[in-house]
Amino acid sequence: MIDVAHPPNREPARLTRISESIWEIAATGGMRVPGRVYADEASAGRLGSDPSLDQVRNVAHLPGIEGYSLAMPDMHFGYGFPIGGVGAFRVDDGVVSPGGVGYDINCGVRLLATDLDAADISGKTGRLVDRLFSDVPSGVGSHGAIERLTSPALVQLMVRGAAWAVEQGFGEPADLEHTEAGGALPGADPDAVSERAYARGLDQVGTLGSGNHFLEIQVVDQVFDQEAATAYGLREGQVTVMIHCGSRGFGYQVCDDYLAVMGAASARYGIELPDRQLACAPVHSPEGRRYLGAMACAANYAWANRQMIMHLTGESMQKALGLSPRSLGLRLVYDVAHNIAKIETHESGGRRLELCVHRKGATRAFGPGHPEVPSAYRAVGQPVLIPGDMGTASYVCRGTEEAMRQTFGSTCHGAGRALSRTQALKRAKGRAIDRELAAAGVVVRAQGRKTLMEEMPEAYKDIHDVVGVMDRAGVSPRVARLRPLGVVKG
Amino acid sequence: MSTSEPRRFDPGSRALVYRELDHPADLWLEVRGVDLPNLVENALFALYDSMVALERVEERREVTLHASGASAAEALRTLLAEALFLFATEGFVGVAAQVHRLDSSTEPGSGDVRFQARVRGERLDTTRHETRAEVKAVTYHLLDVTREASGAFKAFVLLDV
Repeated sequence: MIDVAHPPNREPARLTRISESIWEIAATGGMRVPGRVYADEASAGRLGSDPSLDQVRNVAHLPGIEGYSLAMPDMHFGYGFPIGGVGAFRVDDGVVSPGGVGYDINCGVRLLATDLDAADISGKTGRLVDRLFSDVPSGVGSHGAIERLTSPALVQLMVRGAAWAVEQGFGEPADLEHTEAGGALPGADPDAVSERAYARGLDQVGTLGSGNHFLEIQVVDQVFDQEAATAYGLREGQVTVMIHCGSRGFGYQVCDDYLAVMGAASARYGIELPDRQLACAPVHSPEGRRYLGAMACAANYAWANRQMIMHLTGESMQKALGLSPRSLGLRLVYDVAHNIAKIETHESGGRRLELCVHRKGATRAFGPGHPEVPSAYRAVGQPVLIPGDMGTASYVCRGTEEAMRQTFGSTCHGAGRALSRTQALKRAKGRAIDRELAAAGVVVRAQGRKTLMEEMPEAYKDIHDVVGVMDRAGVSPRVARLRPLGVVKG
Repeated sequence: MSTSEPRRFDPGSRALVYRELDHPADLWLEVRGVDLPNLVENALFALYDSMVALERVEERREVTLHASGASAAEALRTLLAEALFLFATEGFVGVAAQVHRLDSSTEPGSGDVRFQARVRGERLDTTRHETRAEVKAVTYHLLDVTREASGAFKAFVLLDV
């Protein structure tokens, strides 16, 4: 049964320090559980009056929430749920909410390793980035690198995800084992997807998109955990490639469609919402099941998309550098989703529970021994991929037992914005961001000049700080740091 | 119903029509209009202007969009979502618009607000058009339409980018 008598909370949120990296918001008013925010002292101080704290608290009002309403150190104000939020809801008496996943369903990160050293591409980075920029479709209104799909092909893609892409010749079956959920969520229901989403999905598969999405050539510049780095096939000086993108217009449309459905469903099930953007339905309700079925289609679209972009990247690098596939040695380290809701089993309060874990701008971080961690990595824990801004660094971390205990196996997903886009544009005015980055050793190609200004390094929080909080909390210790050499932006 | 033709958006007068408010990650717009149809026309301008530099967009094709909602704000959001859908699926970029309100006198008894928009523009061509933000969705977040003491209208729209 859904318990509905939980009125919104109007008292200001107060943070109480629980440990070095954890701050708690007590459960008051209609909150069913406390909130927990991961932050260092300086950022906790800055959070004081941030509206995202109210969002952490609002999520705690929703039926069936288990443990805590969680927020990662890259948290900022989002749509209903904060970005950087994690909410786990019991499948038995809890809810699923499209606002807890976001518009870009299964936005995520894929890391590729190569057999190249940074010295091998020294002096060729510009050529390489130019080639990638022309071979991998990106930017506003970009179309796929393959012919427009037919509806039956799109249905196959929705159900089979990355495996569909592999069958079409984009990559190897072995890639699937190194993809979260094997590159396809079960339960995809193409009948739950609107005609509009179909229309938006037909010609965008194999495109990077725009905004904060990117394709980046990197070098491993420091290894912190030798054992895990070796298991992941990473070593200092090695060239890696990172891909950040999601389900494109297909996922945006699925989210948009179900926000309307859930708005009506919340009222029908008598769920009192402190904020209408938290619109939701019981996991087991027809609306909840249909959303999860449509969301799985979009998640699978995103995995097929990243699988295809990986393949295009490999071909493009071979051509740009004049290398055989063998000498390039491109292989998938791992692929993670950071906007998704998944049915998972977790220990909580001494019970083993089936939970619908919403990660909105949060990355899964399963610990050693978990059956969903690929066998090659099972001894050290799941690789966690955390991109930073395009001038600084990205991190590879690893999932832990501590993550399973503290955060339902979740951690942060990126640096998080420090400046709004308007503030960034003001700061970038009159500056040539691409030249500044080139001077710092990063070659950048972007479709839109404005995007480059909005995405400039200083618009983001310090990735080292964000990752450091989760490292010190024992949730996702650092394995390696990746420094950007070349960036393709949409 | 007015019979005038769709009026071309003027990027030079952008500041009079809409402005971007401070938001941590998305595009939060404040749009003005002398009346409700004009507000909707200006919101279309703001949406297209956020996605594509409009100076070189030509009026080669006309489309008609319809939207309704339980309030002016919801009808406005739906109309913008229609325009975004057409951009996403057919690459259609509008550069001129004429909006009519179809409810009240024409549809007595209905509580809905209904808009019809004639929009002229062309298909996006990245060899000629400079693109700007990729708009993922027109959200319900912070969505509002208000009438000011002067009789003019103001809308707040948040575009997820």
